[in-house]
Amino acid sequence: MTRRGPGAAPPRVLVLRCPDLLGEPGPEYQQDQEGSAAARAFEPVVAIVERFCPHVEVLRPGICAIPARGPARYFGGEAKLAAGLDAAIRQGGFSCQVGVADGLFAAGLAARTGPEVVPPGQTPEFLSRFGVGVLGMPELCELLPRLGIETLGQLAELPPAEAASRFGPPGKLACRLARGLDPRPLIPRPPAADLSAAMEFDPPAEQSEPVVFTAKTLAGQMHDRLAAAGLTCVRVRVDVRCADGTEISRLWRHDGLLSALAVAERVRWQLDGRDSPGGITLLRLVPDQLARATGRQLALWGDAVVSDRVARAAIRVQAMLGHERVVRPVQAGGRRPAEQVQLVPFGDAGTPQRPANRPWPGQIPAPAPATVYPAPRPASVTDSSGAAVSVSGRAGLSAAPALLAVDGGPVSPVTAWAGPWPVTQRWWDPQQACRQARFQLVTGDGTAWLAVLQDGRWLIEARYD
Amino acid sequence: MRHRDDVLAGEGLLPVLPALQALLPGGGLHRGSVVTSEDWGLLSLALLAGAVADGAWCAVVGVPMIGMRAAAEAGVDSDRVLLVAEPGPRWPQVVASLLDGFDIVLLRPPDQPSASLRRKLEAAARRYGSVLVVAGDWPGAQSRLLVTDVEWTGIGAGYGRLRARRAHVSASGRGAGERPRSAWLWLPGPDGAITLAADRAVAAGHPAGLEAGRLASSG
Repeated sequence: MTRRGPGAAPPRVLVLRCPDLLGEPGPEYQQDQEGSAAARAFEPVVAIVERFCPHVEVLRPGICAIPARGPARYFGGEAKLAAGLDAAIRQGGFSCQVGVADGLFAAGLAARTGPEVVPPGQTPEFLSRFGVGVLGMPELCELLPRLGIETLGQLAELPPAEAASRFGPPGKLACRLARGLDPRPLIPRPPAADLSAAMEFDPPAEQSEPVVFTAKTLAGQMHDRLAAAGLTCVRVRVDVRCADGTEISRLWRHDGLLSALAVAERVRWQLDGRDSPGGITLLRLVPDQLARATGRQLALWGDAVVSDRVARAAIRVQAMLGHERVVRPVQAGGRRPAEQVQLVPFGDAGTPQRPANRPWPGQIPAPAPATVYPAPRPASVTDSSGAAVSVSGRAGLSAAPALLAVDGGPVSPVTAWAGPWPVTQRWWDPQQACRQARFQLVTGDGTAWLAVLQDGRWLIEARYD
Repeated sequence: MRHRDDVLAGEGLLPVLPALQALLPGGGLHRGSVVTSEDWGLLSLALLAGAVADGAWCAVVGVPMIGMRAAAEAGVDSDRVLLVAEPGPRWPQVVASLLDGFDIVLLRPPDQPSASLRRKLEAAARRYGSVLVVAGDWPGAQSRLLVTDVEWTGIGAGYGRLRARRAHVSASGRGAGERPRSAWLWLPGPDGAITLAADRAVAAGHPAGLEAGRLASSG
């Protein structure tokens, strides 16, 4: 990397985003960096980008960046590079947006809004028309418009020193971004001491579990060394060497925000996407692009701060069973009991698609059933003469339910029942629309059931036990 | 009197819901012990609620059909729960790993564990000072809770709805001087909470109006 002073224009950067593989929309810069299953889906895209430039930096799943200068020279200009990359990604079956500008922040915006290529030197002008909201700093974005600063152009006109003293470190950072500079001046030369952390595996590790587990320890060592030097890294490079000599290197966005666990998670993603012929012999974590630590602290892992011991146990089980099979339940909204929870893999950020804090008319009143079958179980509900109980279009019942048999099991008498409660869901969407009649049934042994009649079939959704 | 010592030690005991205190020796869950409920159900969740409210972390293994809304109503904060619905054939290793880290592991064993396997997991619970709550059979458990009698209120033949369940829960334990205990609980009460119920009141089959009055007075 060339040495640059703190006021120099940042290098040309190409940002590629795959809108389909992104999490929630929002400003790329500084968005919360929690992992998600999207990282694995994004891996094939990264492999395509690597054909154009080996130094791919994954900012977060769905977005990656490469330095534009070298590849542009090779492919005959930035526009041709962008077009070639775009075509290759589309051929791979993904949609994508590409942007080239001075510095990562501007390139990310260019990818999102166009034009594809912001010519060198015109980045501050390109940025000036955006509102301060694109900075993705909620507190500042609320404050600045009230002071009459609504666009990045106006923010860039503030004297940097004044902005820093008025708004603190976030203000300083925002000002630098608005003026088209790198968010933090990079430390031009790496310090003498080696801050990387590495571990050799002898015999080679055949499976990813021990490597991921080691990665957490190594990340802890690397963080300790950085902290001791008062530094933080913008990116972390993960080098994995296989027994046959192949090296898989990948850059991950860090910004001093990742916990050791989150770094380990990125190592897992990197390993999951590839074969490692002959096993893994070396894992090395190298901090890349050092900057002074400004002492920002962030809560990771959702709402509750997970203690280290709990997180370690959870990640160990994830290593045994796989990422998706160890989950946190997140309350979600819905009418059916099975809809009212969303399962989020441990370590991923989860926002329910259906928020729980909305009125969901027609949801079952408390108390809720303790057993909710992931897939409803077939049942037969018959009247005293043995005929199946049915419900007419006007919610009229053919006869009182007298006998219940769940999933071909023993027949038990129904001692109490209530219903039908008709539920018509999502009639506007032919894919998801359903009409049901709901019942609560109590059988002779005192067990209570939540049953639905849908398209003439009886299903047991839940059990009160 | 081992239990008394543990209580005096303070941190040896995880709290439980007030309604369950009388059923458990020492009035809580002893760290390093195994507690069972006969089968998966609200009683299993109830055993976790007091400790989770107190800040304990809890892992639930082998229960794909856990009703999280019922858990929340019983007082189990979902932010402190980790689910491993399908632990697979290596479930004993999964449980042992979770016992080192989580305060409580609720396990519904996918198959009947052998005596030696049970001893290993009991030893793991003791070593890490966590509590293994088993939904199922576990010979050698320190405490066993059993729902012996239930009675739903609020629902009749074609009217009303499920409002609350009175359940008679009996507890037995291992060790000298352990007397069987039992209590009537609202499992769940009208709002999903689990509280003590008065001893057996009126027989089943009364009109809806009386039902509502009884629920209100149960508080």
